[in-house]
Amino acid sequence: MNAPFYAFGLFSEEISLVVAFAIGLGFGFFLERAGFGNARKLAAQFYFRDLAVLKVMFTAIVTAMTGLYVLSRAGFVDLSLVHLTPTLLLPQIVGGLLLGVGFVIGGYCPGTSVVSAATGRIDGAVYLAGIVAGLFGFGELHPFIEKWLKVTPMGQITLPAWSGVPYGVIVFAVVLMALGAFAAAEWAENKFGGTAPGPGSLLGSPRLLNPARSLALGFIAVGAFAAIGGNPYREGRVTIGTHQLAQLAGTPAARVAPVALGDWIVTGRADYTLIDLRSAADFAAHRIPGAVSVPLASLTARVAPRTEKVLLYAKDDTQAAQAWILMKAFGFKSVYTLAGGLDAWNADVLFPAQPADEGASAKTEFAKRVAVARHFGGSPRGVATAGKEELPALLPPPPPPAAGSPGAPGAPPAKKKREGC
Amino acid sequence: MNPYLAGFGLGLVLLTAFVVMGRGLGASGAFTSAVATTVQAVAPAHAQGNAFYAEYLGDGTRSPLKDWLVFEVLGVFLGGLISGAFAHRLRLTVEKGPHVSTAARLTLAFIGGALMGAAAKIALGCTSGQALTGGALLNLGSWVFMICVFGGAYALAWFVRRQWL
Repeated sequence: MNAPFYAFGLFSEEISLVVAFAIGLGFGFFLERAGFGNARKLAAQFYFRDLAVLKVMFTAIVTAMTGLYVLSRAGFVDLSLVHLTPTLLLPQIVGGLLLGVGFVIGGYCPGTSVVSAATGRIDGAVYLAGIVAGLFGFGELHPFIEKWLKVTPMGQITLPAWSGVPYGVIVFAVVLMALGAFAAAEWAENKFGGTAPGPGSLLGSPRLLNPARSLALGFIAVGAFAAIGGNPYREGRVTIGTHQLAQLAGTPAARVAPVALGDWIVTGRADYTLIDLRSAADFAAHRIPGAVSVPLASLTARVAPRTEKVLLYAKDDTQAAQAWILMKAFGFKSVYTLAGGLDAWNADVLFPAQPADEGASAKTEFAKRVAVARHFGGSPRGVATAGKEELPALLPPPPPPAAGSPGAPGAPPAKKKREGC
Repeated sequence: MNPYLAGFGLGLVLLTAFVVMGRGLGASGAFTSAVATTVQAVAPAHAQGNAFYAEYLGDGTRSPLKDWLVFEVLGVFLGGLISGAFAHRLRLTVEKGPHVSTAARLTLAFIGGALMGAAAKIALGCTSGQALTGGALLNLGSWVFMICVFGGAYALAWFVRRQWL
């Protein structure tokens, strides 16, 4: 089985909205169950009276973290397809501090205020109105702080990738840290809130095994397994049967004609990633607009999301076909090669030859091709002479598209990306 | 409910979101879509000229309210309502400490909400989208964010204690 199901296209976007509603139902249900519809209970966290916020939040984090580790390690979930919000260090520090201040002043966070309003709390509804006002204020101020909001970018990065400590070891460390925090929380509640740990707690249970202790033991077991279990990401490790490999090698790579690619670029289609497999020097000298340089030897599974449409090209067909097999083995769903490679692109798109056929439809078609050629800085040639004619000298390459500038010629426009909260 | 069991249930919901959708939970994004839609309806030119609203409005071919987080938050509302009904906790009331007036509590709720709304946009998420989701994914920025949230709240707690205690 392949999960995340949605990333593998197992259901449509319409269905995903139904899923969203169902997941929201569960989210809201457990927030309310935890008593988080009540601002006093939430705020008690910050006076050490009732540390339910810490307990619920870290139990949820540890549950999802260990569950995801096991499912990824078992090969059921492809962790690289689970969206990771990029890290922007300074904005996240400032935003976090401000959000904490808003939390203790208002008594809620966005999710809990929805639950609070749903159960009739007027302060929850007013808090929601405050959120809307704050978002509007932020929107109006956005043009002035836009630049600052993007400072200190670190990209999509996990604690293991940043620290160099293996993923599973950090999983185990988080488990132990959370359990230590739970014990400290129960001690603090007794000292500051006057509530001794009850039968459902970690410390005060008269029984050896209650639900809290069973959960803790489960977390420790999975955490210990994770500490020696290795990296849950699939990257860089391809397992493929020899039979499957032979089948792949025997399948002709799906091909896209250069003329079709030219039309995609001219019409601004952006639903694919174009990869130039030649050396960086060749890429610098001449390339197809919008391509990214990934020399064949450095091709990895992280070159693009595995569900993305990927179009490969090299000088001719050979290298592209090899890369195609590799990409299929990595598990990419739609991989194509440019038929005839860059040579065919030059001959068919940059310098199209006039057809010998004088028919009207052929003429219209040729006029269109000439327009496309001029778009890319090429020019038409005379009547086709069966490839004996030398192609005109290539123009200097277009300037490399600046990172993040969607206006660069032929570069696919930046995709709308918003996730998370 | 035992907080550890409530947390376990919440964690399973989050895990389901990862496995089924390849994404985590969220909340504030839904309200941003609503705000952007309203600004678009009142002043279309203003909304299109602002990169923040424009990002949420998309290319105009579909409603920004036909969005994953909007549907998820509708579910949160109903889920909270169902749980509250089962527990007999549905009450029209204001949650506050005994030493603060209702007007003061509601004013502070509004200010807190406004701060939270802006802060969630600066930090690319709130307690659900960053702390819960990113925490479980061991996202570096989310853990920095989480520490700062607790830091900010504990630092200010003493000054607003009359509202709660």
